[in-house]
Amino acid sequence: MAYNITTWGDVKNYQTNCYRNYLFAPGGLRCMGSTWSPLAPLKGLGDDIHVIGGEPHSASAAGTVPAECREDIIAAETGGLGFHSCSYLKLFVGEVIRDKIAITDKTIKDGYPRPDVIWTTHLCSQHSKWYQEVSRRLGGVPMYAIDMIGGGNAEKDPKIVNYVSDQIEAGIEWLQRVTGREFSDELFVKAVRNEIKVLVLWGNICALNMHSPAPLDERRLIALFPPAVVDRTTDESVRIYEKLLKEVKHMVENGESVAPDQRFRIVYFGIAHTYGHPEMARILRDVGAEIVASVYTFGTCGNFKGIVNGKWTWEPIDPAWVDELDLSTRRKAITELSKIVLGWPTWQGVRSYWALEEMAKAMVTEYKADGLLLAPSRSCETDFRNGYIAMQRIFKNQIPTIEYDTDQVDVRKMDLPGAQRKTELFVHLMEAHKKGGA
Amino acid sequence: MNNEKLLAGLDAGHINTKAVIMKGRDILGYATVPTACDAMSAARSALNDVLKSAGISGGELDGVVATGIFRDALAGPVLNVVASVPEYVADAKGAFFLNNKSRTVIDIGGNVHKAMSYDEKGNLLDVIQNDKCADGLGIFYTGIAKLLGISEDELSQLALKSTKRVSVAIQCALAAESEAIDLMCQGVDAADVADAITRYIVERVAAMSTYLPLTEEIVAAGGLARSQAVVNHLQRLIKHEVSVVSLPEYVGAIGAVVSHGGGK
Amino acid sequence: MEKKGRDAIIERFRHIAENTPEYVRSLKEKGRLSAGYMCTHVPEEILYAAGIVPLRILTSHESQAMTRGYIHETYCSFSHDCAYQGLKGDYDHLDLIVTSSSCIHMGEAFNVWVRFAGFQDKSYLMQYPHIIHTKPAGGFMAESFKQFKEFVEKLTKRSVTDNDLEEAIKVYNHNRRLLKRLWEFLRHDRPPITGPEVAAVTLASQVMDKKECNGMLEQLIERLEAEPGQAAPGVRLMVTGGACDDLGLFDLMEHLRYDTSIIFIDSCTAARYFWFEVPEGRHDKLEALAEGYIGKIPCPAKDTVPGTGEKKRFRFVQQFIEDFKPDGVIFLYQRFCSPQPMDVVALKPIVDKLGIPSTELELDTTVPKAQFQTQLEALVEIIKGVTP
Repeated sequence: MAYNITTWGDVKNYQTNCYRNYLFAPGGLRCMGSTWSPLAPLKGLGDDIHVIGGEPHSASAAGTVPAECREDIIAAETGGLGFHSCSYLKLFVGEVIRDKIAITDKTIKDGYPRPDVIWTTHLCSQHSKWYQEVSRRLGGVPMYAIDMIGGGNAEKDPKIVNYVSDQIEAGIEWLQRVTGREFSDELFVKAVRNEIKVLVLWGNICALNMHSPAPLDERRLIALFPPAVVDRTTDESVRIYEKLLKEVKHMVENGESVAPDQRFRIVYFGIAHTYGHPEMARILRDVGAEIVASVYTFGTCGNFKGIVNGKWTWEPIDPAWVDELDLSTRRKAITELSKIVLGWPTWQGVRSYWALEEMAKAMVTEYKADGLLLAPSRSCETDFRNGYIAMQRIFKNQIPTIEYDTDQVDVRKMDLPGAQRKTELFVHLMEAHKKGGA
Repeated sequence: MNNEKLLAGLDAGHINTKAVIMKGRDILGYATVPTACDAMSAARSALNDVLKSAGISGGELDGVVATGIFRDALAGPVLNVVASVPEYVADAKGAFFLNNKSRTVIDIGGNVHKAMSYDEKGNLLDVIQNDKCADGLGIFYTGIAKLLGISEDELSQLALKSTKRVSVAIQCALAAESEAIDLMCQGVDAADVADAITRYIVERVAAMSTYLPLTEEIVAAGGLARSQAVVNHLQRLIKHEVSVVSLPEYVGAIGAVVSHGGGK
Repeated sequence: MEKKGRDAIIERFRHIAENTPEYVRSLKEKGRLSAGYMCTHVPEEILYAAGIVPLRILTSHESQAMTRGYIHETYCSFSHDCAYQGLKGDYDHLDLIVTSSSCIHMGEAFNVWVRFAGFQDKSYLMQYPHIIHTKPAGGFMAESFKQFKEFVEKLTKRSVTDNDLEEAIKVYNHNRRLLKRLWEFLRHDRPPITGPEVAAVTLASQVMDKKECNGMLEQLIERLEAEPGQAAPGVRLMVTGGACDDLGLFDLMEHLRYDTSIIFIDSCTAARYFWFEVPEGRHDKLEALAEGYIGKIPCPAKDTVPGTGEKKRFRFVQQFIEDFKPDGVIFLYQRFCSPQPMDVVALKPIVDKLGIPSTELELDTTVPKAQFQTQLEALVEIIKGVTP
């Protein structure tokens, strides 16, 4: 019997509250930007900081209010953004153009809440333009972008760690100047420890999927990781993931799963699979094929041991390690924060083909995959970075591998009949492989 | 006792629905009908035509085996469909039946193209199918032939006469067609443009095919396999010899029959 | 006789620009080492100081779909074409392929060369800031350049001294000054050279041994300075945007139904390549290189000023408009390029405010000449106020 996650309610409430606070909280500081940048520095400005991250907001809005999102995307295109631009970007800019925003509890608010600051990064060449465009359309919003650099083993390279840390340090000075608020190292350090803890806890939860049956499937993983992407700096977010980790460990001990009929274990590369693909998910589910591991879901806002003795592993980091971290000075806290975000698999893979290849190989082995599903989003530079196409060449002879184009938001860019055909084909190949054929 | 089954194979494709009738290893007849917008009607017509061509009645059949993109639409008692086979399985079986030394088939159809590798019994080992942007190569080829007011065979012959390499846009068929018209209106030889269009199509197929190990012998199937110009470019690009099976458009329909115990 | 000499030099430049693999082979025959680079953020001076000729990988303008099995469809055709040339073996003679971490599409072309075109053991991916204006960017670059220098020393089995670097910096700066001089001719009322010719020379400079290039440039400039020049006909057009090495397109821009002149091209295959200098005579050569390269006109993929989110490149574009006085602006970008078209969304209103009509051309491996001609002539008609 399928297990029902009890922590789900906490997760959902947290996500909704974060968005509602951004929209409706009286006063406070509104911060907008990319949640691929370290968030803790924002929390050093006070305890009334309301954050909205472009990527998670676009993702969750697309799943919750698709009709609004279609209008947003068309508004962005009419405003000059290209058809093949990132759909998340267009959705977000479209909201600004329409002066309207919709959130995960289906609230649609007229009047876009203007941020006080934008705090972001350059994830890809397209993402680099995202908040510039938002700022421009809002008449100019103070904006600070951190160059995270990324790349394989980045968190172990002192040159890179220092580079990122120096920027964060300068960024903190900038935040004070621009907001007129005094920066509290106490609040900052607390937020840093929470941020690191959440990232490590999420990694632990994901690593439990190495067991058979995997306790969680992609659909639940995507539903459970919002607190980590939306705001991972709070005590509440730590509490939620500690509770969830305990719950999932218990599931493993009892051999339980949210999707107990797992005949085939799939490793997935691409943005959240289930948003655009309920039909594809159904085809897979009907044969007991479940996505048990995904680089995007695991490696964005999740940390693992990474490269150990030259090889990648998805083994988790002991959460107790976080409690022992020396964060006794601002610089030390900044340095640990830089390292943990640089350690994200996605930050490593997005700038290093060899790191992505290594983590893919490790994922297929450690999660005991029966198939590899590549479903990158059209015009997502991050998705296609470092060879999702080439990945087929590397894996095709080892394990049933299929690739189809899609888009997580924009139905116009999806190839639903083609994706359906390929998903059916994928199932066939996995069945045959299991029987010793394909 | 004669255990040879009398089976019909129906391949319900995007553009054409193909039917064959086989008794044992003998192909008694084959027929093609445009699918248009009604897979069931097209299948009925194709079946009627092939029965006529084979000189047998529907009641004599042991069954109909369906494959192709619209095979699910043919299910049910109306056509006496007894089994349904995925098109890539049917293609592998059909190609192997027609050439039992082959181990890879590259099928270039109206809308979809794919490549399959199979073992010494015709059992499928691996498949690769085209991506979204590469859909519709067959439709495109037919469209260009219509544009030039010639048949597809004539288009192939024209391409073979090319003496100069020109380029057309590679991004999508619409852009390629638009540029083809531009070039011809600017005086570029139609043969060279025909060759550019052929290369456009084949490069899409070849790029996809190179994901597979391309174990020999390699055969080509699907309507476009009838074009010598296509086959020449394909061989050049994948750097392997490619032969064309007989009845290349019927590989799927034949394979459907073979998958269900026919062909023996 | 003088005109013939000048034409011969320009013709030679153009031939080199359009036949880079042939030039690479000629270097090999002379026993020279050569390194291909895929982004102009690679500090060429370090390679040159080690005796290696750096040359940019440009496109072959040949439509092909084979790379769709390696790089996704929705990556620009520039990257596909560059990847294809690697797979074809056009550049097998190169001793090294280098890129700096910059735009993702060219990064993929680089990955194809490394993974599938046999360059695994002769490649270098340089860590380079993705935001060029951050305060610590210069320090990071200097360290990165140091690591690159060490790699190059190991490759060539020789050390690269400060003198070597200073010499290379001087050679490159001289090249930049000469190119700038060439472009400055286009400001005149009676330029002795056309925009497409300058574009061809600039493109060639990106693939040539700089000493050889400088020699040819000096000869060319000497001849041009002696020429009386011709009145630049008609409407003055400025091009701004992404990489474009299709010289035929610039020819088209000056062969419309109306008289037109290209008077400036702001792209990384033209002015953005050389419109900066590296400080000379500095104690720390790598820091000097970092300072110089930070001073380049920013690529849109790297152009966010922390604090304001400003696009610094726009200041340069506005300055060029002021200095070169175009009547019209043509925005050029590769189809599927991400940062360039996003910049156009923001730059066009500025150009509009300056009262300058503009149009956009989306590039591909092959371009629809007839359609582009119509579009460009429409722009000229708007500028000239021509009505039917």
